[in-house]
Amino acid sequence: MRRQRASLRRPRKRRSRVLLGFLIAFGFVLSGAIGVVAYFMPAIVTAFQDTGHTIDRSLQTAEPSASASASAKASAPPAVAPSGQPFTVLLLGSDNDAKFGGTVLTQSMILARVNPTTRQVVMESIPRDLWVPLSSGGTAKIDAAYLHGGASAAVATVEEDFHIHIDHYAWIGLLGLVNLINQVGGIDVVATNPVMDDFYPADLSGKDPYALERVAVLPGPQHMNGMQALMYVRSRHGDLRSDFGRSQRQQQVLLALRAKAKLLGIADLPDIATAMGSDFSTDMSISEIASLLPIASSVQLQNVHQVILASPYTSTGHQANEDVLLPNWNLILPETHQYFPAV
Amino acid sequence: MRRALTIVVLLALMAGFGLGVNRLIASRKHQIPTEQSVFKPTATRPKIVLPGTLYLAQNGDIYRLSDGFFTDLHLPTTSGLWMQPAYIINSQDLVAVLRAAEYSDLYLLNSQGKILRALSNNHWTRSNQIFLNHWMFYPHMGANGNTIYFSYDQPKDSATYAVDFSVWSGALNGKLATTQLSNSNPFTGGDVDPTPMANGAVIYSRFAIGSGNAYSVIAIETKPLAKPIALTTPAQDCGQPAPSPDGTKIAMICVGGTGLQSTRLEVATLSAGKLGAPQTLVNNCLCAYPEWAPDGSGLVYYNTADATGHFELWWIRGASSATLSPPLQVTTNLDFDASSPPSWSPLSSVPVMAR
Repeated sequence: MRRQRASLRRPRKRRSRVLLGFLIAFGFVLSGAIGVVAYFMPAIVTAFQDTGHTIDRSLQTAEPSASASASAKASAPPAVAPSGQPFTVLLLGSDNDAKFGGTVLTQSMILARVNPTTRQVVMESIPRDLWVPLSSGGTAKIDAAYLHGGASAAVATVEEDFHIHIDHYAWIGLLGLVNLINQVGGIDVVATNPVMDDFYPADLSGKDPYALERVAVLPGPQHMNGMQALMYVRSRHGDLRSDFGRSQRQQQVLLALRAKAKLLGIADLPDIATAMGSDFSTDMSISEIASLLPIASSVQLQNVHQVILASPYTSTGHQANEDVLLPNWNLILPETHQYFPAV
Repeated sequence: MRRALTIVVLLALMAGFGLGVNRLIASRKHQIPTEQSVFKPTATRPKIVLPGTLYLAQNGDIYRLSDGFFTDLHLPTTSGLWMQPAYIINSQDLVAVLRAAEYSDLYLLNSQGKILRALSNNHWTRSNQIFLNHWMFYPHMGANGNTIYFSYDQPKDSATYAVDFSVWSGALNGKLATTQLSNSNPFTGGDVDPTPMANGAVIYSRFAIGSGNAYSVIAIETKPLAKPIALTTPAQDCGQPAPSPDGTKIAMICVGGTGLQSTRLEVATLSAGKLGAPQTLVNNCLCAYPEWAPDGSGLVYYNTADATGHFELWWIRGASSATLSPPLQVTTNLDFDASSPPSWSPLSSVPVMAR
């Protein structure tokens, strides 16, 4: 009888030992997973907050400004380019200081066409003072598109005016750029000329949003921290080319950041996410951004084509009591469509 | 009791495992060098002993490199950052720039770092008129040990946005900004890097804007406000000229054709006011500010050692001659101020009592 009971207990004991072993293994796996999640928590939080925004395509006007749009709409490309296919990103940079009462204009608009297969990139800067029809109605400087509907309105305005399709957007605020550059240890830039400005806004460092500070970025190769790089890309008063000089410097800094991307890996994402905080938003998912990192780092400089829409593509003018840039669409559109497919 | 102890140990091991995984991923983080990851020059030794005394700037302080040792001049940094040292011929003294947030001034120092006196006062104290502050940069001493050349953001019209450097000269023992030597192109940033030549002319980088691009040419000014003679073309986009001690060669940094992401170190012969075909010593680099050895045996310049972006001192022996040697990295992990040209005095010794 006793022997019978013992033989019954043995498989139960074995089962409980297996169960115990499984629980211990599960405990270790769970603990390791918690360690991973804890490490990537800032990136996960940022991913939820800053990425995955959608472009509201309903903001496109019912009556497009361009005659070409009617036929184009019928064969409009998909909202997002398939993986591995060339795609277009609208990069938006804004001041987000208090002097506009919380409203935000874009100081920088760069169209980027990325071909992941050939590792070729085209960057076309859109002047902030370009006088264009807005997707939200009316005509104004293109930097106001963001003001009247955020990134979706900016995307819609550029799509309608330039007759192109934009797959994604990425927006970064001034502090986000400063923190990003600091996080990657600064950037190395060949300053094109002495960038001098006695009327540079001191709106990031003090209480008075209208305060001014002096800027003198000396020319030549140098290492810049975030604040220095921001002065370099934001200053425009002392440049004969005004916004065009600034556009060129902005593209230069983007390429310098690309060089630093070579040093980064996935383990750096939490620090970068923490640094950028709420000063970044995009419609791309975190996995799409992660897949862009190796592309950005492998693009060779000779495969980057830069376009600045200076004269004769634009000319100075005066509209609604403002100094503006008048577009010469007959030149801008053919130039743009060389690199960004027309729709 | 035993079972409870086993559970506690297991839980501790699990927690340790989780922490270990967390730290393992953290260790995979790329160690991006920052300003904090560089050494003070005095904590290092250069790879070779260079003749004479080199003055260099790092992180707002000025260092002397002589006989294979760095010496910190220990300049006070409470009111700004020190940069752009320039030695005074036949003297142990030097002139340097103290850069504050809104202005910069020139100071006379001795080689031990004692401030002898301020040479300028460019600070305007009323904060609502910051445009009345001024910048002075790039001091260079003339052969007589008294004439000083520098870039100055004057004349300036506060009614416009134009702020451009022009080349000025003055006397060390007198009024500083007495003679405006160059008339810069407005809204370009202006004229920088003035360096006196043996024949009395001044060579400098002159910025201009054409075809939508900013560029610099190396120009010579033979007399005040004369029409500058351009030695290089806009397409070459060259600046930061360094005449050799005998005045027959110019080392320079060129950007043309690089897509504004790199530079070239070039040397060209100077004869009858014209530059010969340039010889590229280093291509596709972030080279900056070449400076000839006082005996003309070679030159130093700044360049980044790798993608970290730290600017180190490099040396090329016999630059531009047939016996050209490959570039040698002289320092490691020092990250010098690449906007601050090195100044190279032929004097190697400093007073023994001061060592």
